[in-house]
Amino acid sequence: MWLELELVLIILLGIIILGNNRLGTMIQLFALQSFILSTTPLLIHPGKHAVVMAVVTIILKVLLMPWLLFWAIRHASIRREVQPLVGYGKTLILGGFLMGAAFLISAKLDLPVQETSNLLVPTAFSLVMIGFLLLVSRFKAITQVIGYLVMENGIFLFAILLLEKTPLLVEMGILLDIFVGTLVMGIIVNHINQEFRSASTLNLTNLRD
Amino acid sequence: MLPVLLHISVVMILSPLLLGIIGKTKAFFAGRWGPPLLQPYYDIVKLFRKGNVYSTTTTWIFQAAPIISLATVLISAVLIPMGSFKAPLSFWGDIILFAGLYGLARFFLVIAALDTGSSFEGMGASREATFSCLAEVVLFLDFIILALLSKKFVLSEMLEANILSSWPLFGPVLLLVGASYFLVLLTENSRIPIDDPATHLELTMIHEVMVLDHSGWDLAYILYAGAMKLFVLGGLFLNILIPSHGLSPMAQTISFWGGMIVLAVGLGAVESCMARLRLNRIPQLLIGAFVLALVGLLIILVKGV
Amino acid sequence: MGVLLLVGLPLLMAAMIFLVPHDRQRKIILLLTSSVHLIVTIIFWQRPHHVQFHSFLGFDALSQLILSLISILFFVVSIYLVGYLKEKRRRSNRIFIGCLLCLLAAMTLVTLSRHMGLLWIAIASTTLLSAPLINYFRTPQSIEATWKYLLISSLGIALGLLGTLFLAISATSIKTVFLDDILNNAASLSPAWLKLSVIFLLVGYGTKMGLAPMHTWKPDAYGEAPPPVGALMSGALTGCAFLAVFRVAQICFAAHLQEFVAPIFILLGMLSLAIAAIFILGQKDFNRMLGYSSVEHMGILVLGIGLGGGAVWASLFHTLNNAFAKGLIFLVSGNLYQSFRSKKIENIQGVIHKLPVTGTFLILGFVVITGFPPFGIFYSELLILKEAILAQRYVIVFFYFLFLSVIFFGYARIILEMAFGKPSDSPNKETKKEDFFKVVPLVILTVVLFFSGIFVPDALYSLINEASRLLGGR
Repeated sequence: MWLELELVLIILLGIIILGNNRLGTMIQLFALQSFILSTTPLLIHPGKHAVVMAVVTIILKVLLMPWLLFWAIRHASIRREVQPLVGYGKTLILGGFLMGAAFLISAKLDLPVQETSNLLVPTAFSLVMIGFLLLVSRFKAITQVIGYLVMENGIFLFAILLLEKTPLLVEMGILLDIFVGTLVMGIIVNHINQEFRSASTLNLTNLRD
Repeated sequence: MLPVLLHISVVMILSPLLLGIIGKTKAFFAGRWGPPLLQPYYDIVKLFRKGNVYSTTTTWIFQAAPIISLATVLISAVLIPMGSFKAPLSFWGDIILFAGLYGLARFFLVIAALDTGSSFEGMGASREATFSCLAEVVLFLDFIILALLSKKFVLSEMLEANILSSWPLFGPVLLLVGASYFLVLLTENSRIPIDDPATHLELTMIHEVMVLDHSGWDLAYILYAGAMKLFVLGGLFLNILIPSHGLSPMAQTISFWGGMIVLAVGLGAVESCMARLRLNRIPQLLIGAFVLALVGLLIILVKGV
Repeated sequence: MGVLLLVGLPLLMAAMIFLVPHDRQRKIILLLTSSVHLIVTIIFWQRPHHVQFHSFLGFDALSQLILSLISILFFVVSIYLVGYLKEKRRRSNRIFIGCLLCLLAAMTLVTLSRHMGLLWIAIASTTLLSAPLINYFRTPQSIEATWKYLLISSLGIALGLLGTLFLAISATSIKTVFLDDILNNAASLSPAWLKLSVIFLLVGYGTKMGLAPMHTWKPDAYGEAPPPVGALMSGALTGCAFLAVFRVAQICFAAHLQEFVAPIFILLGMLSLAIAAIFILGQKDFNRMLGYSSVEHMGILVLGIGLGGGAVWASLFHTLNNAFAKGLIFLVSGNLYQSFRSKKIENIQGVIHKLPVTGTFLILGFVVITGFPPFGIFYSELLILKEAILAQRYVIVFFYFLFLSVIFFGYARIILEMAFGKPSDSPNKETKKEDFFKVVPLVILTVVLFFSGIFVPDALYSLINEASRLLGGR
């Protein structure tokens, strides 16, 4: 039951991020979501492997990455988002539809892996969809990065299903890659801001055919 | 007969106390002593002693609206269980009556506002109508989820089916329903972050400006009806969240009334800590509540209830 | 030991780069490292073609092929960089060369990995390491290109990760994602999950390769990156991405999913060719045109895999030729950029008159890339055409022909105009004389391409044979 509670909280936080327009709040919500996410391995496959995963995830996704993102927005002095591509209300409804689609798809797939809750796969798919929607519909570069990170959270949930099967090294490598990716993105956002005096990707529309 | 009278009198006597607790909580957060706990009672009594002023453009609708709002709230009060008191009135499909009663009250308040012929009240009426449109959808979705969970279509039985053992299975869903219902509660009662009950600025009023022209005992009725609406809807909220049916009567009573006090304090805390949202964000908030309820529905469907 | 050198040495040298104070010394280190890398790769040719070093790392024929490609291209580009980076720049080239060396290590890792998870990590690293390289000039356009590249590639890689996880889910009976285990036990993989994973893997690694419709980052990134980086990316990075796609095809082949996956490959290939044809016609920017050219050749590669049989041989051969051809023409564009200070076609006119040597290579590059005999690309494109005709897929034949002709027309219009047009009298009279270092690589590449067209050495022939046999080719 705790697992399901956590999964629902994770989806809830994803929806709140989707409808939010304050960058600082979004980063904090992402940190909270990652924190709850990092405790889920301990509920599914308790053991040494899970503890290591949880600790590393907390260090990377709850502490380091939000710190990095806050550094980026502090340098760029941006705190608010501009109107998304279709408006907040429509984005939320679209998010609701995509989640419905995610639940539908996961109902069709039957998992050969032992699963402790039949909410896990739908939650993972929903997070991937919400992250993708964030990435595509928002204009500020930092929000796109947050969308990418929410997607990675969803993929993490899938990875938890396979916790005992993949070697620890590979999972560490994956997490490290995501972290370095965020680092590089943060640096580039900084460059964007230095060059254009604003971190909105509406400025990045010069290259076209 | 007696249970109905008991029910109604409990609601009538205790509902302004709820407003008083909220006021005291807000004062506490602001570092003041605040008005006395029984202040809403004094306000209502004061208003009853005053005379009415009716504008010459208004018709019977203007005078009927406060009475209708009071009557509908009282009827809806007998539909919900309170602690160890069972609901005196219940029949198949009374959920729709419940929602419809509030719809009726709101309708009359809106057209009474339009009746005055002033564009100011019309502005408030239009805002109120928009927000309650969206809130009703969420309310109905919540009712649908509860009906699916309990497999009953009678309000009191739906709430009573919420027994302790269903929490492990459906806890998350109930949480989601509770969260979206809380937002509906805030919208229906015009509390922060949807509407500020204490504001006097023209641009920011929603519910207040609708009832601006009422005076004397009409205003008293409306104030009283507002307090009772908060009481009834809050009671419904507690019934959703607290699985009190299987417990002893003493535990039920304590959980209900204690829960009401906690709810009042919670509302006061929310009002003190947040500011009212910008007007164009309120529909987005309600859509968010809708999505929450939708997720709850999806979870139930996945679990195959 | 050799593996350690291949992967570890570039990393070590990259670390040293950050300590070395002078630009020139860094270039020397780069050159030395790439030479050692090349020598070790050549030594590996002596070994048998399927070697396992460790459970995670190993060689097979395909690895050998792509690794040699990467090594040679990197070596040639590092020679070129000695001349290219002679200009005084405001910023030191520390990050640039450091990232280049790390990129070499990452690409080597891609070719060596036998574990699908490790493959993903390596490809993700190549994306992250190449982003700062694109941003070398720090102009607004290059920042925009870098951002688009980073975002789209990260999205693609995330989907690739999802695909890898689905692969692991489908392989729950075997409990590993080591490539060899999967290939040996392909029958016990759950088909639904395998198909889902293949789709996600193709979308993910296809984004990295630059197949349409995931190609949108390519013209921007190749257009704004410094040309030597463009050469590396279009030659070596796409080779790595192609290797990943090839591995996916291998898994499909072992699991008898050819009928499922072949149409997808063919569709992606034709779509890439179509998009390239449409967008090359009106191009105004030379490097963007090269980006679309890369999309075109990637389309040809997957088309070959989709057709199967002898076309697989052609695809592998084409990977090799395409890498060197792209290297040639990107390095030519590097010379042009440094002389004419612009990438727009209208500003680069009359190259033959201003820079005779580069102009010759420009024409040669045009000849190579459009598939003229006797250079290698002609042979590989012809082979694919032949396979399509043999398989009686006349629709494919027709469109293949059509798109390649349109593309040829597009190139011809642009490049011939650039080479023979009237040179504009620009006030910038100091035409850089053609450096030794900037010309030698061009010579090397042209010679290699010439030989690959007329004479394929036996060792290479047997290597490609063995690699194509992995997919059931001839």
